[in-house]
Amino acid sequence: MTGPGRWRAIAVAAAMAGALPAAAPAAPRMAAPAARADEGWRAEFEDICAKTQDAMALSAEELRSLVERSDALLPILERLPEPERKVFTKRLQACRNLYAFVLETKEKR
Amino acid sequence: MRAPRTGALRLLALLSLGTLGMRYPPPHELGHLTLEERSRRAGIPGVEFEHWRHRVQFTCRVCHVDVGFAMAAGETGIAASTNRSGFHCGACHDGKRQHRGTTIFAACSDAKSIEGPGSCKRCHTRPDPAKARADYERFAAGLPRNLHGAVDWERAEARGMIRPADFLEGISVPRPALRMDKDVRIPAEASWVNDIIFSHKKHSVWNGCEVCHPDIFPVTKAGAVKYTMLQISAGQYCGACHDKVAFPLADCEGCHRKQVR
Repeated sequence: MTGPGRWRAIAVAAAMAGALPAAAPAAPRMAAPAARADEGWRAEFEDICAKTQDAMALSAEELRSLVERSDALLPILERLPEPERKVFTKRLQACRNLYAFVLETKEKR
Repeated sequence: MRAPRTGALRLLALLSLGTLGMRYPPPHELGHLTLEERSRRAGIPGVEFEHWRHRVQFTCRVCHVDVGFAMAAGETGIAASTNRSGFHCGACHDGKRQHRGTTIFAACSDAKSIEGPGSCKRCHTRPDPAKARADYERFAAGLPRNLHGAVDWERAEARGMIRPADFLEGISVPRPALRMDKDVRIPAEASWVNDIIFSHKKHSVWNGCEVCHPDIFPVTKAGAVKYTMLQISAGQYCGACHDKVAFPLADCEGCHRKQVR
């Protein structure tokens, strides 16, 4: 991982490391939607996925950075309780795959 | 410019459609799903889901990207518990969210029985084709339709008769409007059908980029992949949506719009 995305990813990962339990305990009732906005990972998730509309207009460096940030966030989302884990990992994966796809397309040109 | 051939060639096209198993389902059946995997195990009827009821309100992307409904049956993992905790159907159906002046009813209460007011039966019903047809006809009255009687969503939106929302507060990621107006001409392989005019604008406004790329369409370079009607009718590429929810493949001229030169 290189470039500005690296430091941002490290900072987010460090911040998140203390925010989530190592292994999420089985929740009798899943997290209410209102609680989601309070969690730090959400801001990073939204910032990453807010650029899908502009993917074709982003530079290779910007796309690479978004892929790296996605890869850094993914293990954090994997530790969320269900069904949050499944919903948000799927959403992030869709964003990440789009950026990787556009990057590959641009690099082939 | 050569005029599109008609008569015998159209007959050939129809025979080909039959060979590929294409058909035009009754409009009210297009996009109908029965979600029953978990319900069956719980001993209650499945959920009879009509795409058209939701499609008139929201773009495809709101549900298939933002809410996280998978494009293939059984992959989402919808359960009463996930709905109650604000995911899947419960992302909107929480009994609180307002949509155009109406409170959206809550999905999956804690009721012990599926009977009673406000109960599970609003969604968990047994199939009733006559009611489904009547509901669809009532809904579609006044909306533009195609030759086969199904709502022409594209024309309905272009005329301002429907305004599907593309943002769900608290769920969707705020993002700028998509600037994509490129239509793509895809040459048809067969001489008896017109070339395809693919509207990137229409597809991306409804779906965003990530519904299609890279999972359904893993390449963007024109001509890099040849997809056949056989693959499409098997659910690949355009067939991921068309024939299931979007207009059927039997509606050839929905895609094959441009006269062959």
